Amino acid sequence: MSGLVRPWSWAFAAAGLTYAATVALTGVQGAPGLLVATLTFASFSVLVGLGQMAVITLGPGNVDLSIPAVMTLAGTLSLKLMDGAAGTEAWGLLAALGIGLGAGAANYALILLLRIPPIIATLSASFMFQSLAVWSNRGLRIKPPDTLATFSTGATLGMPNLAWIALLAAAVFWVLIERSAYGRRLSAIGQNARAARLAGVPVEGVRAATYLLSAVMAALAGFWLACFSGGAALNMGAEYLLMSIAVVVIGGSSIAGGNSNVPGIWGAAMFMFLIVSMLNSYGLGAGVRLILTGAVIIAIVAAASGRRAAA
Amino acid sequence: MRTLTKMALSAAVLALAGPALADTADRRIALSNNYAGNSWRQAMLQSWETVTGQAVADGVVAEAPAFTTAENQATEQAAQIQNIILEGYDAIVLNAASPTALNGAVKEACDAGIVVVSFDGIVTEPCAYRIAVDFREMGRKQVEYLSGRLPEGGNLLEIRGLAGVFVDDEISAGIHAGVEQFPQFSIVGSVHGDWAQDVAQRAVAGVLPSLPDDIVGVVTQGGDGYGAAQAFAAAGREMPIIVMGNRQDELLWWKEQRDANGYETMSVSIAPGVSTLAFWVAQQVLDGQTVPQDLIVPFLEIQQDGLDAALETTPEGGVANEEYTLDDAKAVIAAAAN
Repeated sequence: MSGLVRPWSWAFAAAGLTYAATVALTGVQGAPGLLVATLTFASFSVLVGLGQMAVITLGPGNVDLSIPAVMTLAGTLSLKLMDGAAGTEAWGLLAALGIGLGAGAANYALILLLRIPPIIATLSASFMFQSLAVWSNRGLRIKPPDTLATFSTGATLGMPNLAWIALLAAAVFWVLIERSAYGRRLSAIGQNARAARLAGVPVEGVRAATYLLSAVMAALAGFWLACFSGGAALNMGAEYLLMSIAVVVIGGSSIAGGNSNVPGIWGAAMFMFLIVSMLNSYGLGAGVRLILTGAVIIAIVAAASGRRAAA
Repeated sequence: MRTLTKMALSAAVLALAGPALADTADRRIALSNNYAGNSWRQAMLQSWETVTGQAVADGVVAEAPAFTTAENQATEQAAQIQNIILEGYDAIVLNAASPTALNGAVKEACDAGIVVVSFDGIVTEPCAYRIAVDFREMGRKQVEYLSGRLPEGGNLLEIRGLAGVFVDDEISAGIHAGVEQFPQFSIVGSVHGDWAQDVAQRAVAGVLPSLPDDIVGVVTQGGDGYGAAQAFAAAGREMPIIVMGNRQDELLWWKEQRDANGYETMSVSIAPGVSTLAFWVAQQVLDGQTVPQDLIVPFLEIQQDGLDAALETTPEGGVANEEYTLDDAKAVIAAAAN
């Protein structure tokens, strides 16, 4: 019986309920607009959430706190490089990915060479990334090339282009985590790093790949967010730190590591957007909104983990 | 011979400039700043550099360095102020992380005979000078402007700032006071945009489906107008009058709309160069002038006919700015004294 209820179903159920509750207020004519907005804005949370999920799966103590700074740095530098000119789009995207790789390598170097715990390493690295972003452009907003601005705000077959990108990224992650040797090794390390090492898993190699992956996903999210919102801002990544962790936890991945869940990231990302929209639509103040958001998150996590314990 | 001429010349210059400047020529003023992580603060620091650099070159003051804390924490800034006291500066120009948490450090500075001038993020300690923004008036003004444009009134969407911050409460209170004054308007929706375009865009996109079709105006707090416009455009809605907040991307969007369909609105915010106003006020206090403890920062307003001029002087991706002069400071001081 409990096999039918997947850990990620809670996130989707919650997203569906909040969607229904909002539509009940807006009426049917508001429903498609709300769905498009949800898919669009959930995409950014999905991109950063997937990377954070891989890192958290590595086990206790592993979390990437540099995500906001990497987003800001990648968005700022790639838009500065493109300078709004046509024909530079591919270079901009490559630059963003390169910045992600560099940031991930810096994170991992701190963890490996200086033996700093990942939380401290990624936090201190994020100061460097943020300072680089400040220093490189002093907070000026440079517009993305028109092609990228149009693409990132557009839709194909009725679904926002960004949602297609995030869906593709989720599919790639699903294959990586569920079907590849990397995914098995990642779970093994998260469940028991010592046992994994004794069983011949290249622990450090997998860890390095995971931190690189997380930073690249953050850079990708930063690049698209900057294109979507008409330019990079120094504080653009700020709320994606808690968001990236929240979607992992609500999505049914284990916060203690060793067990990840790709579909749940999508359900949780949609839920996180919808809950704010719902409470805004009902006209509740910021205080009530934050309390309710917190309470609902706790309820979902409790329901999901209770189910797992019973199973 | 040439040396003599030079000496005579410099003596003449000194004699001319001397009386006005001699009193503060050897004084040192430090800027204590709590945050640098957005474009407004970056422009604020640049204005400080430009104006104080010139003032130091002109011999008005001896030096005027800027210090920014890394973490936007009151404790960290209190420690920074104590360092500035120990280093023997004559005045501290302060953008504070908290209106009350720095009062102890500010009192220490006053007791050490240091002039403290707080601006933007002001402190409540009575010994400090305050160059405050009338945030309520900033909110009320927006509704007043809309009432001029739309005498019959209508539905408004309010975009607020960061929840729990004093500035957000003040501007919002002003907006609600404005709606009371002009009861033909009603606020049908309110979201938090955190003073960031991308956050505002997301919040507005999420709430729009539940709002009536006839939103006539959007009242804002600055840094959120462009994001709101994007959200309205994406939802295929009629564009309301969105009050802008002096950001270059907002002004550019406004100009594009104006050229395309005659769009009209206004823009209001505080110039980041207010740091330079605080600098001149500190210089005036050191110069022995009588300065009231509480001063008010003038708004930087951009109207339809001033749009092109404002866009020209605003750096791409930056904020409309104004650097203040000694005479501006004297005018602000005189206005407060009356």
